[in-house]
Amino acid sequence: MLKRARQFQGGYRFKNYINQAEPEILEEKTPSQVIIPLRQGFSIEVKPLVKKGDKVFAGQIIARDDASISSPVHSSINGVVEDIKAIDYLKHKVSAVVIKASNSSQEISRLPGYSAQWQKLSSEKIEELIYLSGASSLGKSGIPTRFKSSIISPEDAEHLIIHAVGAQPYNISLELLLKDNSLVNFFEGIKILNKVMPKAKVHLAVNAQKKELIGRFVELSAQLDWLDIYPLDAKYPAAAEEILVTTLLNRKFPYGYSAANIGVVVLDIQAVLGVSEAVIEGKPLIEKTIALCGPSFKENTHLKVRVGTSLNEIVNERLKIEFPQRVILNSLLMGINLNDLSLPVDRTFSEIIAIPENKEREFLAFLSPGVNADSYTRAFLAQWLPGARKSPDSNQHGEERPCISCGYCEEVCPVKIIPHLLSKHVEREIIDEKLVNYGIYSCIECGLCNFVCPSKILLLQHIKKGQQELAKEGLDRDKCVLPGFELKGLEELRSITKK
Amino acid sequence: MRFIKVGIEKLHGILKKNAYLSKLQPILNALDEALFGTDKVNSLPHIADRIDIKRFMTTVIIALVPATLASIYFWGLRVLAIIVVSYVFGGLVEVAFAIVRKKEIHEGFLVTGLIFPLILPPSTPLWVVAVGVVFGVLFGKEVFGGTGKNIFNPAIVGRIFLSVAFPKIMSSNWQMPFTSGLGGFLHYQNTLDAVTSATPLALLKNQATATSYANLLFGQSAGCIGETFRIGLIIGGVFLIFTRIIDWRIPLTYLSTVLVFAGANSYFFHNSNIAPAGFQLLSGGLLLGAFFMATDPVTSPFTKGGRWIASILLGLLTVLIRSFSGYVEGVMFSILILNVFSPLIDTVVLNIRYRKK
Repeated sequence: MLKRARQFQGGYRFKNYINQAEPEILEEKTPSQVIIPLRQGFSIEVKPLVKKGDKVFAGQIIARDDASISSPVHSSINGVVEDIKAIDYLKHKVSAVVIKASNSSQEISRLPGYSAQWQKLSSEKIEELIYLSGASSLGKSGIPTRFKSSIISPEDAEHLIIHAVGAQPYNISLELLLKDNSLVNFFEGIKILNKVMPKAKVHLAVNAQKKELIGRFVELSAQLDWLDIYPLDAKYPAAAEEILVTTLLNRKFPYGYSAANIGVVVLDIQAVLGVSEAVIEGKPLIEKTIALCGPSFKENTHLKVRVGTSLNEIVNERLKIEFPQRVILNSLLMGINLNDLSLPVDRTFSEIIAIPENKEREFLAFLSPGVNADSYTRAFLAQWLPGARKSPDSNQHGEERPCISCGYCEEVCPVKIIPHLLSKHVEREIIDEKLVNYGIYSCIECGLCNFVCPSKILLLQHIKKGQQELAKEGLDRDKCVLPGFELKGLEELRSITKK
Repeated sequence: MRFIKVGIEKLHGILKKNAYLSKLQPILNALDEALFGTDKVNSLPHIADRIDIKRFMTTVIIALVPATLASIYFWGLRVLAIIVVSYVFGGLVEVAFAIVRKKEIHEGFLVTGLIFPLILPPSTPLWVVAVGVVFGVLFGKEVFGGTGKNIFNPAIVGRIFLSVAFPKIMSSNWQMPFTSGLGGFLHYQNTLDAVTSATPLALLKNQATATSYANLLFGQSAGCIGETFRIGLIIGGVFLIFTRIIDWRIPLTYLSTVLVFAGANSYFFHNSNIAPAGFQLLSGGLLLGAFFMATDPVTSPFTKGGRWIASILLGLLTVLIRSFSGYVEGVMFSILILNVFSPLIDTVVLNIRYRKK
């Protein structure tokens, strides 16, 4: 059922960034070598089932751990295990299996027991397929199955929120992901998830500007009374689970914990597509669609790549070489720097963004008309010209100055805290209960306060420092946030975040 | 452009070697930064809003351009001299403190240096301008620790100091503006025997003579340098609200409180001391104060609730001072008084908003 459009306070619309990825897809050749990290998505590091010299095929499970919260990991090509080594991967130290290809076959072996008539399968079989495919590790806390793939079990899920918003400066193309048959598959995926989590009410949040897509959704969901569709204003960070839960469900969020802890599963389109591919087609999750966005790519397109392909292979050739570039994973606001391009792609990749590493000093920058300058204020021409295109770079665009209390950080903050107030307290080392009162633990680290600050103050970093100092004084998150919530799967969450 | 860059680099080299000259580092840095911007890059998030304090302050100055140009037309090229004196002497104080503190020179002064001349009478002697701006920047801002830490609006501190220290210079002899031809663009100042007149507020209070709204709006009246071209101030203020440089809450609430208070008086209480609503709005420094001084983010409350409260109080105080005190104008006193109470208002608002449940 179509519900009324939803809004949330704060946030910022990143509009008209240049070099969005075109809604077309290039299939990459199967790589000659892959490096498969043994921790992908929401999972602990799983134990390898193969050893050096073993022959493996594309889709074979090469690592799994049924005792802990985890999802299996597959080989993505046919080949021979060359090595199992430790790598520094996305801020974690993990083991990775290096596989050398023995042939360039595109074939992927299917999971046993999948069926296009999935309605005839038992719940257990469906859950097994989701688990075995690895799709269960997608989403911020995994997809619950009876195989310990998430911190809660499927019966504990009261709500399932699926978001198709795309409120970042650069987003993977919704049109591409939901083209033709994919849209039907997407809906099958939702129905499958509904069968897996029978108690969960399903909420679908869609970018309010995509009227056509909403129309199609409404059509397809006509018979489904358990599904609600919400047009959602595409303000960043609309896709954050903290924002979705509070905006769509009007529930309080245990900030710093997971939505799953209060029985809410939050998934994106790719996770749902992964589920339908696993159950209907029996496909293990060893291919990923990745958008190449940003002005530093020669071409902006989508790639279908095998998990484990090194970034070098997909990024290097396509990067402009005239000036230094910064390559970022998934988000210009919160994403990790991909400095080491020898690292592989894993399941969690959806956008790779490259922007100029701009250390150039601009002559009389503060007087420039700014025809492609993005700003929360309207002090540049770009905000006066409708349709002006914004071009991002990594320059700070201004010197650090003392806070003038302009209040922009408070206005864009999506969780209603006053960042500059917290930052000043932390800077003056006034660390006490007051900070908790002012909501320091509500911060979801979206980075908007840093973005808008005209004085270029690192508000987010100050807030995080304040949280650490508070914890040292005994006022840690558990003590301040947990009372007032009955959280499920807390131990399970800790077992993963600790590692 | 390139040779400036090279020149600055050479100067950097010279300053590094010489112990005495190295104290001047903040000046060179300020010049360097203003001309060439920064080479620093972001950590997280990877992109930054293009606004910075320089642009922020420049936008305020752009909003003041109509009023400033008009004031030159009305009062002669001497206005330019006043502005230059204000910038030079205020700037010296700013630079001196930056050198002593070994800190960077901050851009907040760009706005103070322009607003201060705009709230002076057109005939103010240049040395008085210098004294006022030095006092204002020193005691209104620097003694508190510089930009961002000041409690008072430095321009208002300077102006009120002058009113108290040199009452005769500051309150007698209001000139009437040039009104024909190219006016002040061709003259240094109005000749001494030019018509002088009291300000519209004083005329109404003491002689019960009302100036017409059209004259008030387009600057055909006596008054401070920058306050009389009110249509320009309104355009500038609306521009600042639209660009989000100032918070719409403050001017909206401030001005409507004045209107409602004075309007309620004419309907219900008929106190003859209180001027009619429209006249209140378009006379004195109300528009200049409401758009450009009460909105100073540093000295006004930072909480939204606090901004509503402070602006209502500003409106009430302004009308009360105008109507019942020995002064004919109340805008600057009201803003100064509310500056004092801003921290208190913020604390109260925060305590209410974050009270323990």
